[in-house]
Amino acid sequence: MNKIESICIIDDDPITVFGIQKMLSLVVDCDDIAVYRNGKLAIEGIKKRIEENKKAPQVIFLDINMPIMDGWQFLDEFITLDLMNKVRVNIITSSIDTFDLQNWENFKKKTEHTITYNNKPIRKEHVAEITKIA
Amino acid sequence: MNGTKTTLNNPLVKQLPTATVFTNKKFEVIYASDKFFSDFSFDTNKTFGKPINELFTTISEDWEKKLYNYLSDETHEGNINYSLNSASGSKWYKWTCAAWQNETNETIGLIIHFEDITEKKLKDEETDQLQSLLDAMCMISKIGVWDYDMINDKLVCCDVVREIYGVSKDYEFSFDNAIASYKDGYSRNTISMQVHETMSKGKTWDEKLQFTTAKGEEVWVQVAGMPTYLDGKIVGVKGILQNIEKQVQTENKTKENELLLRTLIDNLPLNVFIKDTESRKILVNKSECDYMGVDSPDDLLGKSDFDLFHEEIASISRAEDLHVMETLIPMLGKETINITKDGRQATFLTSKIPLTGNNGKAQGLVGISMDISDLKQKEQELRDLINVTSQQNKKLVNFAHIVSHNLRSHTANFSMLLDFLTNEKNEEEKIQIVKMLTQASDNLLETLENLNEVVAINSNVNLERKPIRLNQRIVSVKRNLKEFLVNNNAKIVNSISEHTTVKVIPSYIDSILMNFITNAVKYRHPDRQPIINLSATSENGFIVLSIEDNGLGIDLKKYGEKLFGMYKTFHDHSDSRGIGLYITKNQIEAMNGKVTVASEVGLGTTFKIYFNEQN
Repeated sequence: MNKIESICIIDDDPITVFGIQKMLSLVVDCDDIAVYRNGKLAIEGIKKRIEENKKAPQVIFLDINMPIMDGWQFLDEFITLDLMNKVRVNIITSSIDTFDLQNWENFKKKTEHTITYNNKPIRKEHVAEITKIA
Repeated sequence: MNGTKTTLNNPLVKQLPTATVFTNKKFEVIYASDKFFSDFSFDTNKTFGKPINELFTTISEDWEKKLYNYLSDETHEGNINYSLNSASGSKWYKWTCAAWQNETNETIGLIIHFEDITEKKLKDEETDQLQSLLDAMCMISKIGVWDYDMINDKLVCCDVVREIYGVSKDYEFSFDNAIASYKDGYSRNTISMQVHETMSKGKTWDEKLQFTTAKGEEVWVQVAGMPTYLDGKIVGVKGILQNIEKQVQTENKTKENELLLRTLIDNLPLNVFIKDTESRKILVNKSECDYMGVDSPDDLLGKSDFDLFHEEIASISRAEDLHVMETLIPMLGKETINITKDGRQATFLTSKIPLTGNNGKAQGLVGISMDISDLKQKEQELRDLINVTSQQNKKLVNFAHIVSHNLRSHTANFSMLLDFLTNEKNEEEKIQIVKMLTQASDNLLETLENLNEVVAINSNVNLERKPIRLNQRIVSVKRNLKEFLVNNNAKIVNSISEHTTVKVIPSYIDSILMNFITNAVKYRHPDRQPIINLSATSENGFIVLSIEDNGLGIDLKKYGEKLFGMYKTFHDHSDSRGIGLYITKNQIEAMNGKVTVASEVGLGTTFKIYFNEQN
């Protein structure tokens, strides 16, 4: 099984969080999975990790529609962080809005990190495929 | 006396008062009067005995032959001859000759009597010259002359008059016929009366009359007359006659063209005007008069824009005029706003074209304006309609995304959970998954209810709006929220007048008030008592309800765009569903209103709800 040091799930829907966690437990070996209910909590959590001299999560599962700070606002701040490692950000959404797809294209160009766009529902096999070190 | 001369001058002849000579048959001078010598400055000593043709050197041969004829003439009648005397300048003499007979009636010579006719001759020449000049003038100017002699009832006309009448050169005019050629009625009456007035009172006149030529052609003539006096008495009438058919036709044509142009200008659905260099109107058409609300162009002529329009407008117009006249570049199709002195406002499409004089400088300008106020109004209405339509469209697309997103996220969860359930062996885990499935089902139901509510608002745009006293509704909402307000120690300060009335759908206004008030309390600042200020103003056809709180405030830079979106929450509150403001906004817009927000983080938020007073 693939070994990942740390994973982070950012989603306000507990069912989706449950689903991703369950699938991850089947496809990867990871002891450090953090869950945040919105972008704001996530960015604060990641900043805190850096302050504590921990590496940023290697893989992030990111929802777009969330309260307080949505996925795009999170990415805005996230890409400005000075990180030592490249991060793989997997956007998981039910949105088929072209606006969101356009946003994804824009972010891909703006950052060194890997960003993927994945429509719900997602399957175990797909999770295995996108849960890699960038 | 020289010896060769045998005859002495006859004393009788000598004393004759006129220049007279007696010659023999050889035309040698026998006797001569003193007057003959003085008139021709002949030397008395060298004259007698000399033939007449030697004395007068410039005599033609034909004259000498004539003298012979006189000698042989049986009758005693003399004939007339002319001759030029060279001694004392150019002089004309008339020679009257008669045979000189002795007692036995035998012709012995010739008696020649000289008469100085130079003056008469010159006068005749002058008359001839004047006559030919007059003829030439008549021919060139085509103005005929006529002369009526009352005493002898004789009418004399020149060739031009004949031409006008269409008669031959030998046609004899009569006064009555000449008058009868004028058209029966006004023309004939006028000419008869005028000629009579001249003959009786010496009146001078000039008329344009209609006239029938000998060929039956009807033409216009200019005829004028004046009296002829002789010894202070009127003896005739003379005057001119001119065919002015062409001029009259041209004049009529010009008048016709003028009328056509005038009719055209007056009936154009455009305001047409001409201004002088001082921007004073010197021509206006009917449309311009109608627009200015005057009956006659005289009320506008000579007036400038400053006399007619609002000062600011007049200044702009004058600047345009000056620019057009200075540069000679026309101003075409410019949209202008006009305000009359009485405050009427209209939008025009105006063109100003310079009028240049012979010196190449502008002498004024022609203006053409089209009132496009109605068009502008229609354009604005159309623009509003497009705005509404595009807004509706935007809302529709937005709604479609919301529906699609929300339903998709729930179905995705179902699909995922069912997949887990199928493959799950652990019974405890199975129970957990079923619990989640129930949760997902509840979420889906709630979402559907919310969407249903939004659809209901947007599909019931035709619900009737009724005037409702705002305070009445506020009191009602406060009563419903009493427990909630007391529990939160919230205070509502209402400064809305008792008479403030809004046109609303009654169920919506309660929901709107409820939503804003609960939000204000829900997102209150933890350090202070929540106070909500309610006030209302009237603004451009809207009643504006202002709801001001002293709560947490919202960072509008971050969340402004999403504030009224569906399922958007900005505070980490467990009871924020992100649906309230979305529905509220839909309800306000369904009543043709709008909502705005101002906020400062940490200080509070003010929502302004615009209730449309029109239908």
